[in-house]
Amino acid sequence: MKGVTRSVGPSLGRRRFLEVAAAFGALLAVPLDPAVAAKGDADADIELTDWIFIDAQGGVTLGLCQPEVGQGSYTALPAILAEELDADWPAVKVRWVMGRDAYKIQFRNEKPSQKEGASTSTTKFYARLRVAGAAAREVLVRAAAARWQVPVSDCATESGTVRNIRTGATLPYGALAAEAARLPLSSTPRLKTPAEFRLIGKALPRRDTAAKTDGSAKYGLDADVPGMLNAAIALSPTIGGWLVRINNEAEIRQQPGVRAIVRLDDGVIVVADRFWQALRAVQMLDATFSPGENGGLSTELIDRLAEAGLDAEIGVTALARGDAPRILGQNPDQVIESRFSVPHLAHAAMEPMNATVHVQPDRVDVWGSIQSTDASVAVISKISGVPEDKVHLHIGFLGGSFGGKIAPDFVAQAVRAAMAVGRPVKLIRTREMDIQHDHFRPNNKGRLRAVVDKDGYPVAVHARVCGQSLFATTRPNWLTKTPLGDYDESMVDGIYNQSYEIPNFHVDVIQTPLPIPVYFMRSVGSSAGVLFWESFITDLAHKAGIDQYHYRRHLLRNNPAALKVLDAVAAAASWDTPPPAGTARGIAFDTYHGRGGSFVTHVAEVVELVRKGDGWKVARVFCAIDAGLVVNHNTFVAQIQGGIGFSLTSALKSEITFSRGGAEQSNFTDYPLLSIGEMPEVVPIVVESDRPPQGVGEIMVAPLAPAISQALLHATGRRPDRMPFRPDVFKATA
Amino acid sequence: MSIPFQLNGRPVSFDGPEDTPLLWVVREHFGLTGSKFGCGIGMCGACTMHVDGAASRTCVLAVGNVRGRAIRTIEGVAAEADNAVRKAWNDLDVPQCGYCQSGMIMTATAMLADTPSPTDQDIDRWMTNLCRCATYVRIRQAIHAAARSLKS
Repeated sequence: MKGVTRSVGPSLGRRRFLEVAAAFGALLAVPLDPAVAAKGDADADIELTDWIFIDAQGGVTLGLCQPEVGQGSYTALPAILAEELDADWPAVKVRWVMGRDAYKIQFRNEKPSQKEGASTSTTKFYARLRVAGAAAREVLVRAAAARWQVPVSDCATESGTVRNIRTGATLPYGALAAEAARLPLSSTPRLKTPAEFRLIGKALPRRDTAAKTDGSAKYGLDADVPGMLNAAIALSPTIGGWLVRINNEAEIRQQPGVRAIVRLDDGVIVVADRFWQALRAVQMLDATFSPGENGGLSTELIDRLAEAGLDAEIGVTALARGDAPRILGQNPDQVIESRFSVPHLAHAAMEPMNATVHVQPDRVDVWGSIQSTDASVAVISKISGVPEDKVHLHIGFLGGSFGGKIAPDFVAQAVRAAMAVGRPVKLIRTREMDIQHDHFRPNNKGRLRAVVDKDGYPVAVHARVCGQSLFATTRPNWLTKTPLGDYDESMVDGIYNQSYEIPNFHVDVIQTPLPIPVYFMRSVGSSAGVLFWESFITDLAHKAGIDQYHYRRHLLRNNPAALKVLDAVAAAASWDTPPPAGTARGIAFDTYHGRGGSFVTHVAEVVELVRKGDGWKVARVFCAIDAGLVVNHNTFVAQIQGGIGFSLTSALKSEITFSRGGAEQSNFTDYPLLSIGEMPEVVPIVVESDRPPQGVGEIMVAPLAPAISQALLHATGRRPDRMPFRPDVFKATA
Repeated sequence: MSIPFQLNGRPVSFDGPEDTPLLWVVREHFGLTGSKFGCGIGMCGACTMHVDGAASRTCVLAVGNVRGRAIRTIEGVAAEADNAVRKAWNDLDVPQCGYCQSGMIMTATAMLADTPSPTDQDIDRWMTNLCRCATYVRIRQAIHAAARSLKS
């Protein structure tokens, strides 16, 4: 835990906070105005910690450093501060903050940076924010005690005031902030006991709901900067292709409103007065692109490469327990084998990628839907030549991200457009550009082989996964080095770190390098790994003739925390009571390990299919999660409900295929999303535990597909082995 | 040539090409940004407004087609005190990222005007708007809650 620090006087960091904070306030309430952003009216604020700012009227402003992408950080993180501060929760304001060490988190061996991702916002900031809130509360109490000349033990706090418990006198925080700010902060203040919590662990209404139902919530798309132009982009249809020439430049220039044509190595940006004008001009564009080296890239080729890896003699070993290869080799007739396949996926957040950029000689301002603060600042600085501390990000609400707004290529493109025209420019990707030029979730294939004992439980398992490596493409220094080469642990997420007792277990990996841009997507490698693993366990239990729940119970018999979650979902779904006719069930389990050991969350799901017409439909999903202490039950449940729907979209519909070097899908016609009529009933089961908060946002995603595939096995006698599960696998067989 | 229409009860007119989609006219010329751009092909519904009360996908609706007609946006709904649909959305904390919710509320409002007591099947048929956060569980609950409160 990092101690609480406080900048002395109006440091650069503080000034920058005020500017950005003012802009974020503006972003939430009124149209953006950089003049307001630059001046700020927040100078009256007294800073108690990096997170807590109090004005003379007693108004408390809490800093938020993790973007609100829908997960509820805008409510849960300030609530942690307000809890320990004893602030008047309904009255506090929340502002975006950036640029200080306190706002940075570390992922694995990366240098600390400010970003949101990997289900870590609450996990990583829980203790830090509690200490900050409690330390600020302590200096406010000491200021009051000094004013009244009484011991601090005579002072209590509630709803933004200090109360003298002997006289009943009260002082609002606003009247104490100036004195409190001069007192040193403790790095080990007394924290509340859970019994004292008023906010943490309750179901708190979201602070952003009203703005999101009256049209006033400002997203990147809604940025409005004086003098702003609008831009649309056309990128090379081939990955790695480049722009050769524009064949109708004169015609494009003559289109209404068109101000500039900006050439990129791999695309063309048209800048116009209005977005619609820019978009129409881009649609008229006749440009010649060279396909570069990847013109022959196709899904057939991608599949063939991964397929070949599955049967290669040797892979790079990720885990070797016991001697699985020898046991499998000695019992070739007894080997049970299954193969699986998942495609590339696009993030497809509802808000297409966009950024608004204003480059001036001594500063750059950027408004946008950006998930990775520091990475974007670095790119903006590099392109513009303006130092990083002069780059100001104004981040409003994100219209979804799921990992799709971390890679800042769309921000870089907007910077180039703004520099080319010397005015602020808003660049919006069309849905087609957003999907075709996404950084995709990588493909994967798996081959699992096992030898079982006389009761049907695995004695030896060999899991082999082949596909494009996420880390090799995006984080080469996250690869694990071995004598046989490097491997990417995310390719075997949910396999190498699975929880069942397997005495001999060998996991290896073969990367098939591809030029396709890939990135992290909600639940990362486990969205493939858990499908492979849990579907294979389904096959083993099925062969053994053992009930799927009890087979898993046996393999988890020495893991009480996991059993608790598995038992909770089975009880909720009445698993041990056979389902009525026309209903088929499947069960799956996963322990999700946060990247770099950041958290451990157990999840179990039961899917119920019901017979409808000549097929089966996913009708109900039970989902039990032990994620330690739940800060906000309201958004926790919302994440389970929505995460199941998100996962069902992938399970039933999502697939990016490639031909002639580019993605074939381009809009919701060919990359469809789940509709309300396809959404199952969701039964969330919160398994309480006394651990601190663990990750939540991605956890419910992975077990759904294997639970569906198992239910299909019971319903139809066939278990699908490739995602997505197309309608034909839901056809009834009898 | 100027195109007159009503925007949330106020007479306005647009001087520009008739084939400009209403979404961009409302967002860029009239500064009402609650209606969103999602797909550009009338499929996701993030751009839904009411045209004479009917839920319409305005990213593919040319402004020339709404000459003289009454347009209502989420800002118009928000201006009504005690709007039952919005209240149900707020009570149930429906939004996550929130980007699609303006369109969801506009579609739900039009549905309830046509079908005051919708069944789940009615909801499935009407609510073809898309939500990537999959807030559908609470959307369904909110529609039923709004229907109940409108009746009472």
